[in-house]
Amino acid sequence: MEVDRADGRTLNQRRPVVCTRGVLHRAHGSASWAQGDTKVIAAVYGPKAGTKKNENPEKACIEVIWKPKTGQSGKPEREYEMVLKKTLQSICLLNVHPNTTTTIVIQVVNDDGAVSFQSNLLPCAINAACSALVDAGIPLKHLAVAICCCMAESGHVILDPSKLEEQNMKAFVYLVFPNSIISVLPDGSKRPGGEAMEHGIITSVTHGVMAVDDYFSCVKLGRAAAAELSDFVRNSLKLKAGNDPSKVG
Amino acid sequence: MEQRLANTLIMTVNEKKFIENALVSDIRVDGRRPFDYRNLTIRFGSEDGSSEVQLGKTQVLAFVTGQLVQPYRDRPNEGSFAIYTEFSPMADPSFEPGRPGDSAIELGRIVDRGLRESRAVDTESLCVIAGKVVWSIRIDLHIIDNGGNLVDAANIAALAALSTFRRPECTVGGEDGQELTIHPPDVREPLPLILHHFPVAVTFGFIGKENIVKAGGDGVLQSVIMQCLRIASVKAGDITSKIKNAVESYNTQRSLRKIKRHNPSSAVSNVAKHHTVREPNSQSVDTNALRASQPSCATPVDKLNEESTQVNPETKSTQQSSDMNSSASTHEVTDIGSPEKQSNTLKDAVKPKHKRRKKSTSNVNAN
Repeated sequence: MEVDRADGRTLNQRRPVVCTRGVLHRAHGSASWAQGDTKVIAAVYGPKAGTKKNENPEKACIEVIWKPKTGQSGKPEREYEMVLKKTLQSICLLNVHPNTTTTIVIQVVNDDGAVSFQSNLLPCAINAACSALVDAGIPLKHLAVAICCCMAESGHVILDPSKLEEQNMKAFVYLVFPNSIISVLPDGSKRPGGEAMEHGIITSVTHGVMAVDDYFSCVKLGRAAAAELSDFVRNSLKLKAGNDPSKVG
Repeated sequence: MEQRLANTLIMTVNEKKFIENALVSDIRVDGRRPFDYRNLTIRFGSEDGSSEVQLGKTQVLAFVTGQLVQPYRDRPNEGSFAIYTEFSPMADPSFEPGRPGDSAIELGRIVDRGLRESRAVDTESLCVIAGKVVWSIRIDLHIIDNGGNLVDAANIAALAALSTFRRPECTVGGEDGQELTIHPPDVREPLPLILHHFPVAVTFGFIGKENIVKAGGDGVLQSVIMQCLRIASVKAGDITSKIKNAVESYNTQRSLRKIKRHNPSSAVSNVAKHHTVREPNSQSVDTNALRASQPSCATPVDKLNEESTQVNPETKSTQQSSDMNSSASTHEVTDIGSPEKQSNTLKDAVKPKHKRRKKSTSNVNAN
């Protein structure tokens, strides 16, 4: 049964994505990522000399600063910073520049309407941060794409909810998938009509209560959508860095 | 400590000498003449009261939000507004996160004094129930790219955001006149703020014999100040007209969006974007189609639409073409001056009727 969503999308349809890199002049790398009405700008400075006190000096350190649209930074911002830091730490090559700090600043530009505690910002921010890291030329193991799936009251799994939809959800999950092409193919992993993508989940953040089966169906749906999004990100990178193969992939 | 020093911009003697020598022949480092402004682009977010201003390489975001609070005791029938300035660490590696530094506070105070002491924002209209409930307006300025002259850019951003901010309409009812109903935006059209005038900041830099000094550091002659004031008033008029044009086009787009609310085509598009910003193709097609299908109002409205399509590309295009468009719009101002006033009144008279009718039909379609 097709449930009609408020803005006319089907269950498995994402909002249109707009990604721009090189938005800022001072920052070493910057990107803006907009999914529908949610818009986030990410800026990267780095690597700078020295790490913080409690960080391992044998590796590069990632520092994330999250700036909300209005108001002071509070506990939700700290949580976002922590999730983002852990996610980006797993995709950056930390051993290339030991004893350095790379700073990523996230600025929320638009929050998709109604005031709510939870929001769809985290996947947007992860995507923006990943593009900004590429724009800055920070060495990465692979790219990452983030997507949000949720469980409606009626039991349907819905992809990429807007703010209004999210408020009526039973539970939702943010999933971050790796975005890289495997060079050695294990048996049976070839995606029909495309290059083989690496499997795995980098980050999963859940809110609310959902059954285990529902979680797995969210993951499946998210995986399919992330594959589409990965293609989009790779194509947009190729278009810009046409002459610069070191920046792509 | 060394890290902080490493983050700041230290100028060499050669660079300073170069700047001073160039100024002797009236040329600035980026090729401008001494009293030229950089390109100014004013864009608005999808929400009311959010603006993004780009002045050359400087970028500033401004967000305006409103809340109902209790008024101050000595001003029971006036609302209030407050400005919060954030020098985001993304603007400059030397900006530290956390508490605002001296320059951030100074910038906030300049913008605040400009709006408050000139009484540009009408605070009495923000009163809902005298002594009990008033609107408190909060302006957040985020500096996201430091290319110099933050004061001017931040001021323009604040003015643009204030001009497009809408607050929900409240009515006082009940038996004792104390019951407050706040109408959500789809029930009743939210109201704009009343701005009496635009206080525009124009910054001058004085380059002395040895140091590069801001006005106030070295002594400055009276005649020089008078000259600056004259130039500033001309620039202020320029900037005000640019802000007003941008706000006009935003308001036109906003009313078009209200008429056609549900936009099925944009949900399908999934366009890969390049380095430069470009809106999804479907959106521009829709506004053009709308213009064609819009019922023919009085002719001044068409003229306003024509002007707005000229300004629309400015807000959507990259910086190179915005050069051309912004210069075009400043020329336009003098010509369209008087008919614009006429069209405002006619359009205002016509708008409510059309909007209400269209809103109800679009609601039916969406359901």
